[in-house]
Parts: sequence; structure tokens; C-alpha cells
Amino acid sequence: MNAANLYGLFSANLPDRSEKVFLFDPFDEATFAQVAGRADCIAAYLLTTGIRPRDRVLIQLRKSIGEVAAMLAVAKVGAVVVNISTTWTREQVEFVAADCGAKLLVTEPSMARSLVDQGTNPHRLLASARLADHPEIAAIANLPAARVAGAECGPSDLAAIIYTSGSTGKPKGVMLTNANILEGARSVTEYLGLTGNDRLLSVLPYSFDYGLNQLTTMMLVGGSVVHQPVVMASEIVRVIRQRNVTGFAAVPPLWIQVVRLLAAIPVSLPSLRYVTNSGGKIPLNILEQMPHVFPGVRIFLMYGLTEAFRSTYLPPEQFAAKAGSIGRAIPGADIFVIKHGEGVAGPGEQGELVHRGPLVSQGYWNQPEATAAKIRPCPELRHLIGDEHVVYSGDIVRVDEDGDLWFVGRNDALIKTSGYRVSPDEIEDFVHRSGMVTDVVAFGVEDEILGQSVQVAVTFLGEAEHDMLLAHCRKVMPPYMVPRRIHIWPEAMPRTASGKLARPDVIQSCEIALAPSRLKPPTPRIPSWP
Amino acid sequence: MALTEETLIANILEHSGSEGNVDADTPLFSSGMLDSVAMLDLIMFVEQQSGMDVRAEDVTLENFDSPSRIMMFAQGLAA
Repeated sequence: MNAANLYGLFSANLPDRSEKVFLFDPFDEATFAQVAGRADCIAAYLLTTGIRPRDRVLIQLRKSIGEVAAMLAVAKVGAVVVNISTTWTREQVEFVAADCGAKLLVTEPSMARSLVDQGTNPHRLLASARLADHPEIAAIANLPAARVAGAECGPSDLAAIIYTSGSTGKPKGVMLTNANILEGARSVTEYLGLTGNDRLLSVLPYSFDYGLNQLTTMMLVGGSVVHQPVVMASEIVRVIRQRNVTGFAAVPPLWIQVVRLLAAIPVSLPSLRYVTNSGGKIPLNILEQMPHVFPGVRIFLMYGLTEAFRSTYLPPEQFAAKAGSIGRAIPGADIFVIKHGEGVAGPGEQGELVHRGPLVSQGYWNQPEATAAKIRPCPELRHLIGDEHVVYSGDIVRVDEDGDLWFVGRNDALIKTSGYRVSPDEIEDFVHRSGMVTDVVAFGVEDEILGQSVQVAVTFLGEAEHDMLLAHCRKVMPPYMVPRRIHIWPEAMPRTASGKLARPDVIQSCEIALAPSRLKPPTPRIPSWP
Repeated sequence: MALTEETLIANILEHSGSEGNVDADTPLFSSGMLDSVAMLDLIMFVEQQSGMDVRAEDVTLENFDSPSRIMMFAQGLAA
């Protein structure tokens, strides 16, 4: 196979399958040829606005045929896809656009209006549909049909930037090359056993490596993708039946809802061949029900971090014996568990998971220091691989007697909530910018549904109070980042000898305060519905 | 029943990136505004405020896609 980039991966289907339906939206569908046509319209527009190879184009569109066409158009002209979640706020869109130096922003009409009202030049915007009150903003729906020749590209060229929280500061852009994306598609296709007969349900955003990989694997094998923009268990089950879906990928909060629904009302899903989980641990009681609500369906438990695209999986044959394990390396990758300063962990030991191989990304956009800290030679592996760079995951795992891996925890302060990694620094920065606090400490608290929940401790300034700060957080943060609880610290927070906040003391006090309050009725963590 | 349209919309704003643009007829899930975590929170909120249990099979677009639909559904539960 000689697909040089995302567009090449897609267009390899055009000779033989041009009339096959590639994408299903709830009320629309498009063949490979039709998707190619829609991508060409957008690609022609990109060229007229001066987009050149290696330029960054930000995309924030609802899950749709149009979103895929926009991504393909950007790839076709050799530019870099920067796809971000539709749950991100205008402030975050502006941050990412500035950070990556995006030449053009492709968004839904409401976001385009909001950006222009806040000073973005309308000529940097392309909206999915026309805005009556802003006719100067170009709209995808109004673009004329066109034909565009694809740009030349090589395996090491930058294909996409995926924004993720690092251990400190603002979101960082992980740089994926064409080779990273193609290898990711090949590896996952191999271990899931995907073919052109597969039809995947896509619920997860294409701004996530896990969601993006669903799309690229179906391009590789010539399968189809069913877009499911509504993350509602009843709708998901209905669409799996209606569209004869063969594969479904989700994250733990969604599995909780889907499994509960199917446990209450068993539904036969004859087309479904396999399901996959990634983005965190599924609660054990839900995991145990999965083989019963999905009889005969292959269940893959997977693990990946954006900096290395995908890393491990547990084969379905092992599910009964090892439910909860993240298994072993995916094809083409090497996974090692490192005891720092000592060597490689053996059976029964634990250490940090590091990833080596063709899926290792190019690091963080414009952040050479953060890249050098995350992706670097590993002294404990020098005798095996020399100075080749590996990704340090920051995840501590245990190796069992068979060599399968089990997630233990993080080795840094990063909060893992509902599949997102959130840095306490970023939350604290948002809270500080309210101007309402003198001190703030953000931290994660174990939570059965979310993995961890985001909480903050604050010392208020002047007249500021709980609801004002919460309103600020709701306005500037994406939903998953908004603190589930604000602990009010009545005075200045304790400091260390060097004058820094004594974070562990503050966090510990809050955790002690939480323990008795769990006996009171405030927020039940588990819904009572079956 | 303590559930009101006002408290419901306030709760929804907490979990969306909508910047305050939610009214009684705003599509919540068919628009992509709310994700799976927000959905779990919303169901818990409706249960707490109304004192009723929401069955998994009742979480449908028809019952949950807008604040006014949720209010109608909750009133049906209480009846």
C-alpha cells in the first residue's frame, strides 16, 4: 500500500469502491466518490485563500460528512489538520488558533459568529453554513464544485496536531506525522481483524486519537462509518440495529449507560461483532456485565496515549481471565515497563510504561523542552535499543506473571477525568483569571464514574463567593474541566519554606473534609436507574 | 416537585460550552452540546430534584432533548 497521507489512505478506495457508501449521517449518506467531491470543493477554497503545505487549519465541526470532507481537504492540499472538540469554548478555540498559528478556522456558524464578534478577522473563517447576519463569512454549503490535484507529501511530514493537556500549563499540540497515522491504522486493523465488510459506529470525536483511528481504519480497509452525534445509550442501541453496525468504540462513562440500558432491556444486536474500550478503566461491576449484555461479541480493552497514538490491547480471548488488564503491545509497537535508575520491570513488578516504535509522535508543537522531557532516550533500555527515543507515558503499570499489564496510577499530578487528561495548572490558571481568588489548588478525587473528579480549593478575595466562581468556570472551561466541588479555604493557604503553596497539605485537608460528607446526601455518584 | 425549568437550565449550563445560550427549546443532545458525562449528571439531577427514578429505557431524545421535553417527562413521572 502506498498511501502517503490521510487523503491517500481515503482515495485508494476510489478506483474500486467509488459507489459504496462510506459515511452515514443521521439524515444523510455519502459514497466514497461523493465524499471526494465534497472534499475537493473545500480544498479548492483552501487554495484560493492561500493555504499551502504545512499551514495549519483548525477544524471544529459537529460529527458529520462535512467534518470528514474538511479534514480530507486539508490533507489533500498538504496542510495540517488541527481538529478540536465541539465541546471546547470560544476562549479555547482562540487559544489553539493562536498557539498553532492557524491560517484558517473551519467552524459551525454559531462559533464563527462568536469569534467574529470577539475580533477574529472574518476572512480567517469558513463556516459550515451561511450566516444571514455575517454574509462576509464564507460558507462550505455555498462553495462551487471544483477539482484539485493532491499535494506531494512524505511519511515524515506533519499530518495533524491533536491538542491534549500536558502535566503542566496550557493544552499542548501533539504532532502526528503521516507515518504515525498510517501505522496506527495498519496496527489496529490487524489486531481487531477489520475488513471492508465492517461498519463502525463513530460516537467519539475525531479530535481524539481513538476516534480518529476508527475513521482511518475504515479508510484502510474500505469499510463504512456510521456517525452518531447523539451520545445517548438508547439512540446508540437503535442505530446499531438500524444500520447493521459491526463495531463500536466507547469510553467508560458511555459504557456505564449502554450496559445499564441493555441489562434492563436486553436487545439482540446480531450485526455487532466487536466492541472496544479506551480512555480509562470501566468500573468492575459494569465490566462484569459486558459479556452478558453483548453475547458472542468480541470485547477489546485498549490503552493509548496521544503522544504515541495507540499502545496496548487485551485480546478478547483473555477477557474472562483478565478483565481490567490493558494487555500487551499492539502490533508494530514495543512497550517496556521501566523501574527508574534500575532497569526493566519483570513479572510481579511495577514501573512506568514507555512506548517505542513507529507510532511515537514528533512531540509538542513549538515546545521543544516539553517534548524533550516526554520523548527521549531511555537509559534503562540503552542495552536494547541504544539512544532511540521513547515516549514516557507517566502511567504506572504492574506486570503480571504472563507479561500482561495492569494500570496502577499516574506518576504526576495530571487528573484523568472521563477520558480526558487535565492539568491542575490549567484549571488553576482559569480560576486565577477570574480575579476572585488569592490562592487556588486543583486536584483529582477518585470517582467511580469519571475515574477522577476535578475539585479545587480556593481562598476568596473580597466579596467573591462560591456561585460567582462556579459561573466563571462554566463560562471559560469546557464541561469536563468545571470543578465538581469548590472547597472554600477560609484564610491564606499554608506555604512551604520557599514560599510555594503547600499543595499536598491543602489537598489532604480537603480529602479529610470529603470523607464524612460522603455519608450525607449531597451528590450521589451512582444514578439509581438500573 | 422541586424540579423547575429554571434550575434545570442552570444545571445544563454547568455542563455545556454554550456560553449561556440555552432556553426551553434548545436541542441538547441532537445538537452535540452535551456529552456522555453531562448526560449522566443531568439524569442524576432530574432524579434528585424530582425524587423519582429515571429508567434507562426512558432516556430517549423524545424525553430528554430539550429542557421543555425533560419537564414534560418529569411531570409525567410524577403523575
